[in-house]
Amino acid sequence: MSASFVHAMRRKAVRLTVNAVIAVFALLPILWGFLSSLKPTDKIVEFPPRFLPEHPTLEHYTRIFADNAAYFIANSVAVSAAAVLLTLALGALAGYAIARFRFAGRDTLMVSTVAIMSIPIASLLVPTFTLLSWAGLADTRLGLVLLYAAYQLPVVVWMLYGYFLSLPVEIENAARVDGCSPTRTLFKVVLPLSKPALVAAGLFVLVFAWNDFVVAVTMTSSETARTFPVAIYFYLGFYGREWGPLLAASIVSIVPIVAIFVLLQRHFVSGLTGGGVKG
Amino acid sequence: METRRAEFWVPYRLIAPAVALEAALVIGPLLVGFWYSLHNVRFFQIRSFVGWDNYVRVVTSPEVLESLLATTIFAFFALILTFVLGFALALWLERDGRSATLMRAVVLVPYMIAMLVGSMLLKWLFSHEAGLSQLVLGPLGMGNTSILANPKSAMAALVFNAMWRDAAFAMIMLLAGLKSIPPSLHLAARVDGADAWMRFRRITLPLLRIPILITVVRLLIHFVNILTFPLILTGGGPGNATEVVVLRMFRLGFQDHILGPANALAILVFLANLLLVAMLLLLFRRAGRL
Repeated sequence: MSASFVHAMRRKAVRLTVNAVIAVFALLPILWGFLSSLKPTDKIVEFPPRFLPEHPTLEHYTRIFADNAAYFIANSVAVSAAAVLLTLALGALAGYAIARFRFAGRDTLMVSTVAIMSIPIASLLVPTFTLLSWAGLADTRLGLVLLYAAYQLPVVVWMLYGYFLSLPVEIENAARVDGCSPTRTLFKVVLPLSKPALVAAGLFVLVFAWNDFVVAVTMTSSETARTFPVAIYFYLGFYGREWGPLLAASIVSIVPIVAIFVLLQRHFVSGLTGGGVKG
Repeated sequence: METRRAEFWVPYRLIAPAVALEAALVIGPLLVGFWYSLHNVRFFQIRSFVGWDNYVRVVTSPEVLESLLATTIFAFFALILTFVLGFALALWLERDGRSATLMRAVVLVPYMIAMLVGSMLLKWLFSHEAGLSQLVLGPLGMGNTSILANPKSAMAALVFNAMWRDAAFAMIMLLAGLKSIPPSLHLAARVDGADAWMRFRRITLPLLRIPILITVVRLLIHFVNILTFPLILTGGGPGNATEVVVLRMFRLGFQDHILGPANALAILVFLANLLLVAMLLLLFRRAGRL
């Protein structure tokens, strides 16, 4: 065996070991929660703990669905979908204005976009609730949709603006010469060419809205407007120290996100770097 | 002439809905919050104007000062550890190839799932009942220690939560920066005999300065305003050991319903954020992105 071969094998072994450590670090909490959710209640807290369930059961999953989980999931889906559509519509209009027009206040608008994008939501919660109760939008799904749109709009404007800039302006000019209004040009010519950016931006809003907990828990109180993450939080109190249903609900919330992520990972990453779809 | 005037208003009509929404739901709350913070508020009813009293009450409150200390400790350790881990991951997974792509996706999973769910899963992992912590700590003679019941280890668990979720964010931000360094530079340095450490010090670090600073400030903003991790993982306890400032604000506002001081604290936190955001804007300008 040559020295270089041993060297290469050793390198490969190191690489595999480090990757395995990283994977355990990232995935162990999720895997452990998933395996625990499949155990019957008395086996969940068994000591010493067994990693694999002896007799896997779906009882905790049936239980949360008996406790209205489907309704809360439907709420989350409806609120997320509406937030995505609203944000993309408003974001496309504003992003197009910044990309294709020179107007007084444009620079201020761009700086404010990045500034608002960076303001953490947590510092706005108390005053926002105060305002929403004033406006009669507290504890409504509409209120959540408007807030999600407001929080994600700056990122979406930024992403779409960057993408519009990269499109050749000649096609739009041709449409304009043919008598299309700017708005018509945007919807008939620009947006059909912008599918990758729309998917990336939409995905970003979708994941945010589906995952949001702090906004929903502070702005809603009734079961009517309750989204799934808030329901999970209430299960925490409702079931007391019963981990089975809690972990089952957590896993249910993860599944669609991981599915979307596996299918569309490339699109998702571009939103994180704060713009630049190519990033 | 008619068309020119029509053109003039076009961009303003396009941005109007977006600006209206932001004004109503981001700027609006700040104004309302500021107004409330100057008043004595009982059950959502404004009673009397009290000037800066709420602010004085907030900054002299021992609980708030304690929460500031907890925030500082958490943000300090979370920032350093998350950044270092994220950077290491970025350097390790920078290369192309199937295994690096797969590993980047694996690292991103904790970041993709809801913060609530992530903290819930860690709460289960760390909990005494799950038995995993006993299994690990037992041989060390600490079998009866409950991680979340001790102030120091609870804070450590909170920092771990931050690392576990947000290292992926740092990794993605830094990977974008690493990609923008021309490979020819590394190649040239290698020809000149520079070892890996030398190339990291002389090429990677200097060229990555702005992306590094942007990542650090964005992480810092996130950690200073942390709410979900402590709310779910530790509940601010044991005692008040992990009650960070935004959690205190959350409790003042949504559990105790003391809206005057809660809004005063919110405005103060917002001003601190404004400072950080201003730094971020300067960095973006440096990077030529604004």
